[in-house]
Amino acid sequence: MKKIQNICGSVGYTCLRFLSQIGNFFIFCITALFWAIRPPWYFKQIFSQIIDIGFYSLPVVGLTTFFSGMVLALQTYSGFSEFNSESTVARVVLASITRELGPVLTGLMVAGRVGAKMAAEIATMKVTEQIDALGTLGTRPMQYLIAPKLIASLICIPFLVLIGNTIGILGGYMIATYKLNFNSDLYLYATLEYLQWIDVIQGLVKAAVFGFIISMLSCYFGYNASRGAEGVGYATTAAVVTSSVLILTSTFIITALFFG
Amino acid sequence: MVKKLKIKQTKKTIIKVRNLSKKFDNNIVLEDINFDLYEGESLAIIGASGSGKSVLLKNIIGLLKPDKGSIKINNIETVNLSRAKKEDLLLHLGITFQHGALFDSLKIWENIVFKIQRLKKLSKKDGQKIALDIIKNLGLKPEVLNLYPSEISGGMQKRVAIARAICSRPKILLFDEPTSGLDPVTGGIIDELIVNSVKSLGASAITITHDMASVSRIADKIILIDQQKISWAGKPEEMLKSSNLKIQQFIKAINPDLFK
Repeated sequence: MKKIQNICGSVGYTCLRFLSQIGNFFIFCITALFWAIRPPWYFKQIFSQIIDIGFYSLPVVGLTTFFSGMVLALQTYSGFSEFNSESTVARVVLASITRELGPVLTGLMVAGRVGAKMAAEIATMKVTEQIDALGTLGTRPMQYLIAPKLIASLICIPFLVLIGNTIGILGGYMIATYKLNFNSDLYLYATLEYLQWIDVIQGLVKAAVFGFIISMLSCYFGYNASRGAEGVGYATTAAVVTSSVLILTSTFIITALFFG
Repeated sequence: MVKKLKIKQTKKTIIKVRNLSKKFDNNIVLEDINFDLYEGESLAIIGASGSGKSVLLKNIIGLLKPDKGSIKINNIETVNLSRAKKEDLLLHLGITFQHGALFDSLKIWENIVFKIQRLKKLSKKDGQKIALDIIKNLGLKPEVLNLYPSEISGGMQKRVAIARAICSRPKILLFDEPTSGLDPVTGGIIDELIVNSVKSLGASAITITHDMASVSRIADKIILIDQQKISWAGKPEEMLKSSNLKIQQFIKAINPDLFK
């Protein structure tokens, strides 16, 4: 009986802790949004984050989507040629990249690169009392540290997705024309013909949602870090893992809303 | 006959702490703490590691909220003060943190003028000039101004933290373990800087420390926190006569002649 009570107790405690974390995260997001739309805006911080998130993520996003586009073209060709449907390669590459692969791969790459950095930076500031010091120096940490990261993520990740989409389609085009001997003009024509704006818009909506998820989760785990170096490590891991899981969850929900 | 009233000259109370208690979960850290800091006074709060000295300081500056009790700064009750008023009050305080808490991403001069740059919208040139004027008096070379905190020694970081605290010429200074982790010579220099800063600003100061050599140099009044409570309070010279066991232990650890 005592054992059952203990099990029920720990299950209840874990559930309550989980709910309390969700509640705290929700309050954190509302506070961050509040300070993001309220002046003063720290333009220097916002610009520096735009460079960090947008510019420095370009190589990794470009490489990932480029090779994904190439793989997609090869795989589609090898599969579809069995049914004499090689002509649909351009269409499949385009739809896959713009609807799903472009936004998701960009989101995951940015979560790994930028999310980890944000979480580690803020967690280090937290455990070395720099965030406490900010508050005593006439600056609100939420407005100075978190809001610029949120604003920059919401601006940059949609742009990264657009660029990633273009590079991914280019990767597919290169494999199709140079390796699979497709006619270059016909391939480009098919790509443009099947380009659906709803796919691009859906990708951009996903990108904005991913930007919100990555910046908020990374900042939240960093901001609530404790226990020195171990806490910084935990915050970084939690930020990347949770962001990645939520990216994959939210992409399903958004796809279902658009095409469900 | 007109009775001549004798007006007793009393010093103004700058910080008044009454019945302050703080616990984390079921762990009581501070219980029923009472003390006053008068104008122009330098108070040292001593106690063993983990005795709650830094928790007391964080309660005073509003980073933690006491479970019970009252804290008045310049006769303003701070415990339930609104965020905006608390931020306003903090502008009148100069605080140094245990590990310096300098901002890693900013240069030394930017760290020093961080507060006043936000308040007065200083240009880069003016900010650098003010920082230069301050560090001259703290024994730092002008070359350090363009370095980052990670590029200077621990002793220099503590001096920069003091420079940041006194830059806005506050009337209340709070130092959390200013000499921890420093060699005795550098510790002595830091103590001298604290004494000089308090005098030159005409400020009142609280220093949290367990360094008795430091206490002997900077304090007008001492309180000892032991087992969650203030177990002794008095002037430095009274320490030698005290029968308090903890005080005797602290004195034995250093040369008692320092307090004569």
